[in-house]
Amino acid sequence: MIRRVPPAWLKANSTAAALALAAAVMLVPANLLPVLTTEASGHNRSDTIYSGAVELWRQGLWAIAIIVFTASIVIPVLKLAGLAWLLLSVRRGAPRDSRRLTRIYAVLDFIGRWSMLDIFLAAFLTGLVQFGEFSTVEPRSGIVAFAAAVVLTVFATQAFDPRVLWPIPEHPSPTAALS
Amino acid sequence: MARESRFGPDAALAFSITGLVFAVPAFLLPFVSAGKFGDERVSLLFTGVGALWDNGMHALSVLVFLCGTLLPLALFGAVTVLHAPERFKCQPANVVLLIRAARFLDHWAFPEVQVLAVLVALMKLGSAVNVTIGPGFWCYCAMAAFMLLAQRSLDFESLALPPSALGSAAAPSP
Repeated sequence: MIRRVPPAWLKANSTAAALALAAAVMLVPANLLPVLTTEASGHNRSDTIYSGAVELWRQGLWAIAIIVFTASIVIPVLKLAGLAWLLLSVRRGAPRDSRRLTRIYAVLDFIGRWSMLDIFLAAFLTGLVQFGEFSTVEPRSGIVAFAAAVVLTVFATQAFDPRVLWPIPEHPSPTAALS
Repeated sequence: MARESRFGPDAALAFSITGLVFAVPAFLLPFVSAGKFGDERVSLLFTGVGALWDNGMHALSVLVFLCGTLLPLALFGAVTVLHAPERFKCQPANVVLLIRAARFLDHWAFPEVQVLAVLVALMKLGSAVNVTIGPGFWCYCAMAAFMLLAQRSLDFESLALPPSALGSAAAPSP
């Protein structure tokens, strides 16, 4: 076995790394800036992703708090960490545990979409809760940064080429030319 | 996606047509209505998209519209066009392009996430607002379920494509 990765695959993974890095940068304002402002009976309250999940927990809505926390904080971080691990594994040379890494890639590809939960949630609440002075919900800039982070992570996962996780045979098969 | 269907050869076609049928009432009928102090507000599927747009968050509004509405419809369309020839003995103009489109749309169509988001929002609103779920939401849930089934049933091998077409469709764009 030799390791001579086609340049197109390497280029794809450089793109994935750049997109993942951009997503990691966007996660900072996404978690620091408020995502929603709620006004109810004269009380104004701005929530970040984390404080929103904590508030749900305080209200006794534990299941929802866990869902929101997992979808909006755990999954984006897990996805970026997993992608970084895959990229580093490839950079170090031919990975030995190709099957396991490919499974990890499949999991990362699947879980990414669930980060969109907070974005749909903000859109739905903004549209529904508009009761003038009694109660209103408005989106804030944090949700835009979060959406950018989610979109960038999905693009990063799509850009990553999982074929680099597998050893390349010395004499490539005829079908390799097709790709 | 490239997996043999356990529901039979016409399953993907049947699920996508059913999903398209459910999409019409999901978009037109009331999604959720909420009331507070006698003020009743009826929300449609697009209400949130419009509210984000009105708040100046145009990119976010477009993203929600694409991932929750337009791309699921496009995926149903792509699956229907890909699988209809098996039944009606006709060949679509560009199968490879359609397969690439279906693979792309599969990554960006998230109706099931929107369903979960609405359920979370309803529980979050809970006691603060009187909420009534409308028929549009149930139709949207059905549409999301049929999209998952269509995705599970999408079988590229049964499309009788030449290996080169499948190979180039599977390869990422350079």
